Amino acid sequence: MTPVTTSPVARVLQRVPVPLRGVFPFLVAIPLLACVHFATSGAPFFVILSLGVGVNVILAVSLNIVNGMTGQFSIGHAGFMAVGAYTAGLTSTILSEYGLSFLPGAVSDQVMFTLSLAVGGAVAAAFGFLVGLPSLRLKGDYLAIVTLGFGEIIRVIVQNTDVFGRALGLRGVPQWTSMFSCWFIVFLTIVVARRIAASTHGRSLLAIREDEVAAEAMGVNTTAYKVRSFVVAAFFAGLAGGVFAHYQSIVNPGSFTFVKSMEIVVIIVAGGLGSTTGAVVAAVFLTLLPEALRSIFLGLGVSSETAQLVDQARMPIYGILLVLIMLLRPQGLFGTRELWDLALFKPKGPEHFPPRPREGGAL
Amino acid sequence: MTSATTASADAILDAKSCTMQFGGLCALKEFSLAVGKGDLKGLIGPNGAGKTTAFNVLTGVYAPTTGDVVVDGVRMNGRLPHQINRAGLARTFQNIRLFKELSAIDNVKVGCLSDATPFFPRSKIEALRKEGNGALAYTFEAWGNYLDWWRAFLLTPGFLREEADIEERARTLLEVMGLAHRAEEAARNLPYGEQRRLEIARALATGPKVLLLDEPAAGMNTREKQDLMALIRQLRDQMGLGILLIEHDMKLVMGICENITVLDHGETIAVGTPEEVKRDPKVIEAYLGVESHELRA
Repeated sequence: MTPVTTSPVARVLQRVPVPLRGVFPFLVAIPLLACVHFATSGAPFFVILSLGVGVNVILAVSLNIVNGMTGQFSIGHAGFMAVGAYTAGLTSTILSEYGLSFLPGAVSDQVMFTLSLAVGGAVAAAFGFLVGLPSLRLKGDYLAIVTLGFGEIIRVIVQNTDVFGRALGLRGVPQWTSMFSCWFIVFLTIVVARRIAASTHGRSLLAIREDEVAAEAMGVNTTAYKVRSFVVAAFFAGLAGGVFAHYQSIVNPGSFTFVKSMEIVVIIVAGGLGSTTGAVVAAVFLTLLPEALRSIFLGLGVSSETAQLVDQARMPIYGILLVLIMLLRPQGLFGTRELWDLALFKPKGPEHFPPRPREGGAL
Repeated sequence: MTSATTASADAILDAKSCTMQFGGLCALKEFSLAVGKGDLKGLIGPNGAGKTTAFNVLTGVYAPTTGDVVVDGVRMNGRLPHQINRAGLARTFQNIRLFKELSAIDNVKVGCLSDATPFFPRSKIEALRKEGNGALAYTFEAWGNYLDWWRAFLLTPGFLREEADIEERARTLLEVMGLAHRAEEAARNLPYGEQRRLEIARALATGPKVLLLDEPAAGMNTREKQDLMALIRQLRDQMGLGILLIEHDMKLVMGICENITVLDHGETIAVGTPEEVKRDPKVIEAYLGVESHELRA
């Protein structure tokens, strides 16, 4: 079993002309996502559900860059999400009053949506830099405590600031998030995470995870790399926050508590720290789990109140699940491997394992 | 102790009377050593003599209390280990410190940092640094690295070319160290001797001018040790590296080193060719102790 392997996507990419490799996955994904977007436009419940899943996938994949690849334990991801959600929400409520008159309404909305997402992401990234620079000198538990503190500080600040609507939160954020835009950002996050993992920079991050002293001795500027991984993760958490704000329409501090941070940590630990596909699978599974439980119970003829109780018991169920996973598979579902490393997808027989050049990069 | 160094004018690594003090403990006293191109030097001494401390001072893990470490004409005191590595000093560790979960080739690739960032070529940054413009060099380097992440996200042709180049360099190095057949294997699964060699390959990948080997033969059998000796000589001859070796195995040290520095209790007690060092009474004393009749005499 090789520790880092070529993804099937990378193998496809080797056949693509070099100048097109960067955009090729998007050329494939955009029409596909558009099809999904129009196919699901008649099923609002499904759309809402999948938007929630999408946000969690973005959060999990981005947190995995810090916790999984770089090996730094951050548990304040909801803080960055909050920064992104409030900044993007505020930006778009202001922008929506103006509108770009020379464009049709829907297009103008999407332009402003993109703009406010970018602002949200950028501000979150700036916070990532500010928090990361001093705190990434700490290790292990100490770093965890600092990031936890940061998440709580952000929540308390927005709870007591008039601009952010205090405890009631921001209201009337335009509902611009669509199936397409949400999953496009999910796709973007995954592509970026995989491309980091397969580049010089990703190898430096993995080296830091494996042995910080040796990485430093091999010329890796460990402090700078840790801060950069933190900044990238914070940026995508900010995007997730923006996406979240624009489908909920109401952003309140209650959405960004410690419980949310922990939810993401549980997802990536369950999926296997360091595995991007593991984070995706676990995010989809664990987000849908309470919904699935509720529909199963309703289907069994249980009253809706009892089903509601099951929904509220989500955290204990998470807890039990996490304990089970830690007992049965301490390295998480996938460990540091990716989906395509599993025996299920391996071509059989030794003749399928020639020494393969990996110049394509992943995805 | 007057430091009788063989300091040549073209020394790449030049330690000038470095002292390392931990509180009241003087772990290294007035340590001087110069390694030039093509030198093969040894650093020996009984346990606790300060050999590894000397290594840590040279590679920037510790900043010397007094004295200077000069690499390629640039004073390195207070620089971080990764900066010293970039200046041309690579090391291995006494207790192997590979990136265990990564494949052998990825271990080597970590060392293969790309030579150029797209906007600020490394040679230009180094030139700035030599001019004493460290802050500007650092700024360029940091921003160059940030911009480099974008090339990785966009998979620009230049980036792909660089990755292919790194791949090729890493494979060549694995071949030189006789590890080509292990390229895809996780480092932790390699046998002990191969892990040692992989560590050397990884150090070589950083493109050093001087290689510091901390007990490279520890735990190897006689056969492996002989192979290693041949390999170290070959590296020196073919790549023109300066090599500094810490070793307990006297046969290995005496066999390949042209110049040996002996440490005891942090003090340099002898410097010279293997023959000179072998006859030096202080060295014999440090290793074998003093016989009672000599004390009386």
